[in-house]
Amino acid sequence: MIDTALSSSGTQVVLAASSDENYPPENIIDGNTEMFWISTGMFPQEFILRFSNTVKITLITIHCYNVKNLKIEKSTSNDATDFQNIAEKEFEHTDGHLQTNDFSLNGTSATHLRFIITSGYDHFVSVHKVTVEGVN
Amino acid sequence: MVKLRAKCILVGDPAVGKSALSQMFRSDGAHFQKNYSMTAGVELVVKSVNIPDSIDSVELFIFDSAGKETFTESCEKLWGQPSVLCLVFDVSSEVSFRSCGRWLERVRAHCQGLQVPGVLVGNKSDLSSRREVETAVAQEWAQSQGLEYHETSAKEMENCEAPFLSLAQAFYALYQGQLQTIQALA
Repeated sequence: MIDTALSSSGTQVVLAASSDENYPPENIIDGNTEMFWISTGMFPQEFILRFSNTVKITLITIHCYNVKNLKIEKSTSNDATDFQNIAEKEFEHTDGHLQTNDFSLNGTSATHLRFIITSGYDHFVSVHKVTVEGVN
Repeated sequence: MVKLRAKCILVGDPAVGKSALSQMFRSDGAHFQKNYSMTAGVELVVKSVNIPDSIDSVELFIFDSAGKETFTESCEKLWGQPSVLCLVFDVSSEVSFRSCGRWLERVRAHCQGLQVPGVLVGNKSDLSSRREVETAVAQEWAQSQGLEYHETSAKEMENCEAPFLSLAQAFYALYQGQLQTIQALA
């Protein structure tokens, strides 16, 4: 098992619907929860991760704040097209600490993951860290 | 530098000047509609507002919604998760002022517990001889509802930017506050 959602393993954020230059989306895949990406208003919000190879995913973990509804889609193409829904969840509201949520998957393969935040507990939501466990 | 995006719901009774106000704001005073044309759905007006003393801005997506009841219900479908609210009445129409409570309630039903900054706008301030709503009365009600009060005349290009600038600033303040909260967590 390796964490494939790290910029150090070649993963990139290829799209983010919001950007404050002080809180860039790359903070999602830097491997720590201190640095974060924050949305800058209105819903839905989304970001897309691209892996360096096709990955067979067993577990996705997301550390975020004020996210209410999250949808995850995957693509197996090389150019981030034909996304299919793989998970959807309503998160519980937390106060004073980050939300941590797991999605167990049975080795589904993907080249890209798209995270769509359709609603929040505030106007602004932050994503601190995404980890993806799987095998190449 | 950051550019925030805010969904601004613009509501009020028919013919109080919602579209005139949003068009004056959009065009920097260059475009006042002389002939009344009723808005039948939602007209989307997009404009960026610079936040004073910063390099940041807020892009307002103004949902100029029909005031006529027949059309309001379909407009409401587009009001989900609003960022800010602009509620307009006509200072020469007591009736339009009395409707404001109902409009406010209607928009708040879509806020899902979010704090939504709002302004109350008394438009047509140029019609001083026909004024039916005194400034002090409107001001007091606005305050009781947590709204900031502005008077405008879209026709005379009077003060049309102020309500939108104030909404942009309020939304920007929410962002700053939220950033601080999150930084404290991380």
